[in-house]
Amino acid sequence: MTRLSLLETALLLGVYVALAGSYGVVYALARLQGAAILRRISALIYALHGITAVAIVVWTPLEIVWKGLIVASSVAFFAIPPITWRYLERTHETEV
Amino acid sequence: MYRSQQLALKYFAAAIALFGVMTLSGLLSAYYYINPDFLFGFLHFNIAKILHIDTMIIWLLMGFMGAIYWLLPDEFGRDLAGIRAAEILFYVFCAAVAVVAIVFIFVQYGSSNETALWLINQGRKYVEAPRWAAIGVVVVMLVFAYNVIGTAYVSRKITGIAAVLMIDLVPLVLLYLIAFPAISNMSADLFWWWWLVHLWVEATWEVLIGCIMAMALMQLLGTSRRIVEGWLYIEVALVLGTGILGLGHHYFWIGTPNYWLTIGGFFSALEPLPLLGMVIHAVYDAGTHNMKTTNQPAFYWMMAEAFGNFLGAGVWGFMITLPQINLYAHGTQWTVSHGHFAFWGAYACGILSVLYLVLQKTRGLAYVNGALWKWSFAALNLGLIGMTGALLVSGFAQAFVERAIGGSTHAAFVAAQENKWFVEGMVGRLIFGLVFAVGYVVLVYDLLTLGRRARLVAAAAAAE
Repeated sequence: MTRLSLLETALLLGVYVALAGSYGVVYALARLQGAAILRRISALIYALHGITAVAIVVWTPLEIVWKGLIVASSVAFFAIPPITWRYLERTHETEV
Repeated sequence: MYRSQQLALKYFAAAIALFGVMTLSGLLSAYYYINPDFLFGFLHFNIAKILHIDTMIIWLLMGFMGAIYWLLPDEFGRDLAGIRAAEILFYVFCAAVAVVAIVFIFVQYGSSNETALWLINQGRKYVEAPRWAAIGVVVVMLVFAYNVIGTAYVSRKITGIAAVLMIDLVPLVLLYLIAFPAISNMSADLFWWWWLVHLWVEATWEVLIGCIMAMALMQLLGTSRRIVEGWLYIEVALVLGTGILGLGHHYFWIGTPNYWLTIGGFFSALEPLPLLGMVIHAVYDAGTHNMKTTNQPAFYWMMAEAFGNFLGAGVWGFMITLPQINLYAHGTQWTVSHGHFAFWGAYACGILSVLYLVLQKTRGLAYVNGALWKWSFAALNLGLIGMTGALLVSGFAQAFVERAIGGSTHAAFVAAQENKWFVEGMVGRLIFGLVFAVGYVVLVYDLLTLGRRARLVAAAAAAE
């Protein structure tokens, strides 16, 4: 870990999670409004998140275990919004 | 109104007053970084900082207790058991907090002996309160636990939320007992001290606020019990699953075995996952209600809680939680930045949300909205985000100059403190701290006059 790579890696990790959150928010908004454009924007944000993950894996000096965790977390971040949304819809539908 | 709800109002009043003390002592602490000679020989930085972080713990704790005392009678359909003891202990609690604060300000510290530990300061961050006061906190928490568990017992009724709450109260009380031992081995002492600090904040308090938010959601949005309890179980399982062993992400530079760093890094790296689920839930609720409820400030503070938690604990936490980063960032202003954001998002916003719900009931308001809460909401959140941003800049400089370049020597520490980026970050923190303080003043004014202003206007119009 060089001096500069410390800051670069930390910033990439922050951006990585911030993009995952943004993807989730826009995905939820897209489902809420049924807007195709928002759906595409959410896909675009997730693609940026994926690029950030690749950058972390390729450029940062993190150990291989942590890089594996980053890849696995990206898969989880992709799945959480649709799974959560379906669960919310199902539980609220059965209430009506 | 139940007696426990009357007690809740007192707890909320005390919590908001301590919120003010926390803000004021925070401003003072921030100013010391700009002018270290300020109040030299009278009140040093360490005392201002103790007041800042201890009142932060106490105001949140009192806020939680107020919320539980308010919401739980509706859950059980009766007043809480042992409420008389709780009423008496409220005054004892407030008096103890006042005495401890006076001792901190005027006596400050004593010799390294038992007398000082019992009467002045235990010297461990966040739990500096002398032993007599710490015993008082245990008694208050035991009575609080009895209020909850005893009520379930006498009413022969138990809900999912109440069950989770009761289970949570056991570690909440037990973990606080770690505040007492004075272990002379520094590594062993810090090892256990983190059990108290981390597991209160990232385990038992998370469950407590989860229970409070579940009950508040039922009142605010009319969400069914089945849904909130289902979510509560999932979120509690995920938060505890990631939070408990995330403990290891604190074990840097204190002599604990290396494996803790890997365990802590791994589990705390998973923490953003459940937080994302909470954000999705918040968007769902906001969307299905078109961002409108009968209590707009309560609703917005609830939304701020979900987003603030994700940003503060999730994004800010993830930046520093992996061991290779944490090694350098640990104990710098970077972690202070994360701490400010996470505490605000995870807990403070939730308590403010419940407070507005309570005022709607006590003042008989059919609809709560207006301009003032928006100003306080904006100033408090802008101030907080500005402070965390400024602290982040200072933290970057500190990790880079002091740790990565300087190798954590004393000279490197001084070099980092004098670094331009560090100093400017500290100035920025003070400026945004002032914005936060303005937000606090507006908040208090709004809380005091909510509903009354409209009535005064209506009365004046009727008189004309």
